[in-house]
Amino acid sequence: MFNSKKTLVASAVSGALLMSGVAIAMSDKPAEGAQTGAFVTPDASANPELTGVRGYPENWREIVDAADGRYLDAQVVRTILGDNTRQRLVEKMDPTNPYSFEVHDSIDGGPHGNMQCKVPEAFVDVWERAEANYFNDTDFVAYGYGTPIAEEALAVWSIHVDASGNGLPSNDVGMNVLQGGDMYIQFCAVCHGEFGEGARGYLPLSEGDPLPLVTSDFNDPAPIKTVGNYWPYATTLFDYNRRAMPFWTPNMPAIGDAGYMGITGYILQMNDIPLDDQGTRIEDDDFFNAEMLMQANKYMPNAGNFFCDHRPVIANERCMSDCPDYMVGDGTGDITNYRTAFRLPDGTPQYNVEERIGVDAPGVGHHGH
Amino acid sequence: MTDKVVEKVAVQTEESRSQSRRAFLKGGAAVAGGVMFTQAASAREIQFDPKRAVAPYAGREEISTVLQDQSARKALGWGVRQYPYGMPSPFEKEVQRRTLEWLTPDSMASITMSPLQSLHGMITPNGLHFERYHGGGININPDEHRLVIHGLVERPLIFTMDDLKRFPSESHVLFAECPANGAMEWKGVQLNSVQWTHGMMSCVEWTGVKLSTLLKEAGIRPEGTWLIPEGADASGMARSVPVELAMDDCMIAYAQNGEALRPENGYPIRLVVPGCEANMWVKHLRRIQVTDKPLQHREETSKYTELMPDGTVQNMSWYMEANSVITYPSPDFKMQGPGRYVAKGIAWSGRGKVDHVDITFDGGRNWTEAKLTSAVLPKAWTRFELEFDWDGSELLMMSRTTDETGYVQPNMPQMREIEGTNNVYHRTAMVTWKIHAHNSEFGGMIENVQF
Repeated sequence: MFNSKKTLVASAVSGALLMSGVAIAMSDKPAEGAQTGAFVTPDASANPELTGVRGYPENWREIVDAADGRYLDAQVVRTILGDNTRQRLVEKMDPTNPYSFEVHDSIDGGPHGNMQCKVPEAFVDVWERAEANYFNDTDFVAYGYGTPIAEEALAVWSIHVDASGNGLPSNDVGMNVLQGGDMYIQFCAVCHGEFGEGARGYLPLSEGDPLPLVTSDFNDPAPIKTVGNYWPYATTLFDYNRRAMPFWTPNMPAIGDAGYMGITGYILQMNDIPLDDQGTRIEDDDFFNAEMLMQANKYMPNAGNFFCDHRPVIANERCMSDCPDYMVGDGTGDITNYRTAFRLPDGTPQYNVEERIGVDAPGVGHHGH
Repeated sequence: MTDKVVEKVAVQTEESRSQSRRAFLKGGAAVAGGVMFTQAASAREIQFDPKRAVAPYAGREEISTVLQDQSARKALGWGVRQYPYGMPSPFEKEVQRRTLEWLTPDSMASITMSPLQSLHGMITPNGLHFERYHGGGININPDEHRLVIHGLVERPLIFTMDDLKRFPSESHVLFAECPANGAMEWKGVQLNSVQWTHGMMSCVEWTGVKLSTLLKEAGIRPEGTWLIPEGADASGMARSVPVELAMDDCMIAYAQNGEALRPENGYPIRLVVPGCEANMWVKHLRRIQVTDKPLQHREETSKYTELMPDGTVQNMSWYMEANSVITYPSPDFKMQGPGRYVAKGIAWSGRGKVDHVDITFDGGRNWTEAKLTSAVLPKAWTRFELEFDWDGSELLMMSRTTDETGYVQPNMPQMREIEGTNNVYHRTAMVTWKIHAHNSEFGGMIENVQF
């Protein structure tokens, strides 16, 4: 998703100051190198395919072998990634991180390609088993069980819409956004609120003034994740709505592809998702269809902030005695500084008593003695 | 007759707790499991409250009464096939899956937790396997259920359930863990039970067809790099699985612990992705589409992604990291006075076998290696035990596992420093049980605390 990262840098420049503040807050050494208020921009063009190499140290295999094949061994992680776990996380979008699962560049060529994560090559045992089971299994003879079926026969079941737009209905299927809003109010608002503000315990789809996703303080409230400030793809919204919504009667014929498209348009509109570089908004009388959805898909504000699993970043020794302070208690060696759960009204710890929160009636599922 | 036995054996019921309490208050040495707890008698002085203790406990008089009672041998029992499908003893009725109603707005998209504190060995009984629904539980008629493999394959195939059972099968003991296991504890502890802190997982023996066999049967085209499994439930659950992962050790399971899958766990078939987030183990599997791109489903973008403190988000976090927990003593139990104890627990790693489990009693400064007391299998629960003598002082007990890749389980402050407090998923750091000092206000109680 290297293009996305470029976009992240671009968006930081074009006013998303939120993220530039983040990078500084994250780093122990904010002024280091070329990192001027945005994440390091990896040079994707230098290695567009990243096939086989993916920026590992050239001798990564030797390093792994030297640790007796333990590719997550503390020594291995340190040798390859260095000691500073904070810095390691700052650099997580850097493809030279061999534990990044990231691989190919964007598929559709747009600014927000369909991000492809992959099992790192350093996970040698996974690759070896995959090769034995499949890539190198030339002896396999088909059993002939099961029945061949034509792809066309699966039309009704084939409901996936991926982030590249495959599976979307044709451009004549859609609805103007105002109509989509009516559909939304009829079928969705009971749980999600008329303007996506949430209802009945269901979380909001949209926040008028979205909370930043950055949390610096332990006691900060949890950020509310919405379509606008969190979801990386607009296609997911159409796929999920048609697949699983409304919750009580999913995939309703009464809504249909056109209705689901209109509802999707309305939800994107309430989240102020732009359609182009100029920030053109979705208007009430826009005919919202697959084409417009794919336009919005390229401008989801949070798309550039996703990165592939990079664990482990924590590389501890198996210390047995007199362990250093960071392994002890609250991380400074203090073992008296801890939190407890809420106490019961009489001051005692919650325990195996009826007052304990959330306890079901006993006896469920047992025969009646 | 049964009722009398209930009164006379210490079981986990309110009645018996009161009973044992009465016996206890009469004083005298206590006998439990044949071991004399002479120290326990003086526990009165520290406000020992057996009502709050789950561990079986009985006083001398009770035991002597039990020994006088011959009714158990006098009464004729029931005939065979009284219970065509057997159920646990009624005295085990409190061993059950539980949920926290405040976690979700409805029960059809919710989760139950397995009672780990009451489980033994490395296998979870089928009826206690944790449940996670995204669109409610369903009963599917297997005769009407099909599995389709299509997309970038040479031969799209549709399988009946009987077709699948004709293929060679494999059986593997594997844990299934919801990546939200322990999610409530990022900012601190909320609840006192290992059922709440670690119960969103179970470990059973899965039997089924290797996914690689079926994929070879259909013949994946070279450009096919992703699989999109999909369930037949109302949520149409789907995830994106890279082909290497699928070819490694994935299975399509039709049985758990020797019998057909339970409806709660995906009957008639489910995907098994060993060592990985249980959300990927799509239940009621009906379709696998082979593609060259991930789907970016809601459950791998909006959910099951990890918000970092800097606002970035980690996604496609497939593997569950090495983890461990002490199930005894744990907050559901109570120490019975100073003496010898055997700490017991489970350790597991999504990346392979457990190599070591170490236990600390002092909050992490010094550690003692525990014995592994079950089979040690990759991506399965491994049991550990460690005998220790409790002198009655306050303990801060934690377990720490090291898996075969060399990864050492971190503590909570480390994990929080890296991943913040709003991450929700993959909270795999150690937990801490505080054993309250014998002579303190809550003497012998075991409390979940967090550094």
